[in-house]
Amino acid sequence: MGEANLVKTICGYCGTGCGLVLEVKDNRIIKIRGDKEAPVNKGQTCVKGAFAYEYVHSNKRLFHPLIRKAGQLVETTWDEAYQFIADKLSSIRDTWGQSSISMFACARTTNESNYITQKFMRTVIGSNNIDGCNRT
Amino acid sequence: MLLMGSNTTEAHPIIANRIKKAIKNGLKVIVIDPRKIDMVKFAHRHLQINVGTDIALINAFLRVIIKEDLYNKEFIERFTIDFESLIKQVERYTPEYAASITGLSAEDIVTTAREYASSSSSMIAYTLGITEHHCGVNNVFDIANLALLTGNIGRQGTGIMPLRGQNNVQGAGDMGCLPNQLTGAMSIANDEFRTRFEEEWKVTLNPHAGDTQTRTFDRLENGELKALYIIGENPLLADVHMNHTKELMKKLDLLIVQDIFLTETAEMADVVLPACSWGEVDGTYTNTDRRIQRVRKAVDPGPNVKEDWVILSELSTLMGYPMNYSNSEEIWNEVRKLAWEMYGGISYERLEKEYSIHYPCPTEDHPGTFVMHERFHNQETVGKKSPFVPVDFTPPMELPDDEYPFTLTTGRRYESYNTHSQTRYYASGVKVKQTEETVDIHPDDAKSLGISDGEVVQVRSRRGELNVKAKITDQVVPGLVFMSFHWSETPTNVLTLNEYDPISGTAEYKACAVAITKI
Repeated sequence: MGEANLVKTICGYCGTGCGLVLEVKDNRIIKIRGDKEAPVNKGQTCVKGAFAYEYVHSNKRLFHPLIRKAGQLVETTWDEAYQFIADKLSSIRDTWGQSSISMFACARTTNESNYITQKFMRTVIGSNNIDGCNRT
Repeated sequence: MLLMGSNTTEAHPIIANRIKKAIKNGLKVIVIDPRKIDMVKFAHRHLQINVGTDIALINAFLRVIIKEDLYNKEFIERFTIDFESLIKQVERYTPEYAASITGLSAEDIVTTAREYASSSSSMIAYTLGITEHHCGVNNVFDIANLALLTGNIGRQGTGIMPLRGQNNVQGAGDMGCLPNQLTGAMSIANDEFRTRFEEEWKVTLNPHAGDTQTRTFDRLENGELKALYIIGENPLLADVHMNHTKELMKKLDLLIVQDIFLTETAEMADVVLPACSWGEVDGTYTNTDRRIQRVRKAVDPGPNVKEDWVILSELSTLMGYPMNYSNSEEIWNEVRKLAWEMYGGISYERLEKEYSIHYPCPTEDHPGTFVMHERFHNQETVGKKSPFVPVDFTPPMELPDDEYPFTLTTGRRYESYNTHSQTRYYASGVKVKQTEETVDIHPDDAKSLGISDGEVVQVRSRRGELNVKAKITDQVVPGLVFMSFHWSETPTNVLTLNEYDPISGTAEYKACAVAITKI
């Protein structure tokens, strides 16, 4: 059993941007408190930020890529999933044009992942059909 | 501060705490909301407005301020255009006329207008109560009219503050995940910016704006859209008129969903890709007031689970456009290089030392921009003038009638988050107060329907129906009921209306007509 590590990060729920300190032991988050040094929340947290973190460790998380075969979603490898997507997207793009493909980006993931998301759409697919949940 | 359409205590609890602290130090808050939300207890006044009548109210504010000569003449002359057309537009919005639409008293409307205009600094904060209407963009234009009329913008303690609902909804748009914008909020139509990206990415970019989510569903309906790639979103449960959304998604040739759970949307997919969650990723988020802050990895993900950018880079490479990044900092440095006007000075190293930096921050020695639009108070430069955009009140698209006599308005609850795929998992020992959906109804309405608290009732709209427990509360007024959309067991969006703002594509989540019957 390892010692608890402290990791500083930003809350992943609403847009306030509260600084949190995560207590981590044996690759699990065991406790969260507000970061007193954080300019936004100065140590405070709400109930979601402090306590609603067990989803990270839920056994209902997705652990493998899934692909639909004979109507059912079944486990597959990354290689098969990637190849299926690459073939299908390329053929749809070549048959129906770039504007027949759309992407919904994620307002919960990092700036870095969002940058890559739109870069993928604009370079690989060649389409500006990219939007987020900012309208809902 | 005018707090409009924001149940801050439940949706942005820490911001609510800061507002309450400011109230103790003398801030006057006027809550403008159809429900008697928690902030009302701390407010100087509550304008309990009829759902969807904000423009009638704001136009009356504008008229009072103009008639009583309380506007900032010098500011308007130097920095704005189209003032005359605003005067003309608001002429018919007398306090009495606005009172008849909004359900407020003419006196409260006049007093609030005077207070906003004559305070040394006034601010407006709003949330989805303003935007989730068929006239959401017009609502925002009218808020901007109010700030411009009084010069309440560009100084600390003034301005317009939309409170953002997701940790990185600001960042996602800023990074270019919008149909009309490249990274750094640069227009895709701007040749100079587009060329900058074309040179770095070594491709030719399409200069025409793409489809919004709303338009995507329209094009899906008419068969033009064949493939949809969704990352970390559950539109089936989150979007209006759920039964319709589900039928549309079935028409796709290819649905790819990348998520942390097998959501209701993922269950419909052809391929599902397992992504890392918060706590497993490194990078930055941009919060509601433009702060860039560092997000750090705390735990290792499962062996077959990958970060969003890793998945997309690997797929991109396979499809013939190699992307090779070894970490999130490398990606961020590419962002800083391309959109240097916004992020050039915001290095990981500085964030480590300074915690957060507000963009725009073009260079390493720039402190970041805490207050935007300061040029309005800088005597040397005038710059581009801001137009007033006069707008007219239009009632909600579906008003209550004999068959559907209640207005349903939707929103969020304190302990839950959106479609609840994450907040189902609280740490053990935490007692959650609201564990299932309720339809919140006024005691008078409950009495006339013969419904008791906790009784299961049927709620029905022209689009769908569901059964849900009634919660009797005077948070709502007679004729108005409230629900959230957190629980898939009670999918509130089977009821909501698929009418959209024509400019933003945002749906009218805040108003539709329903009937409620005892079972």
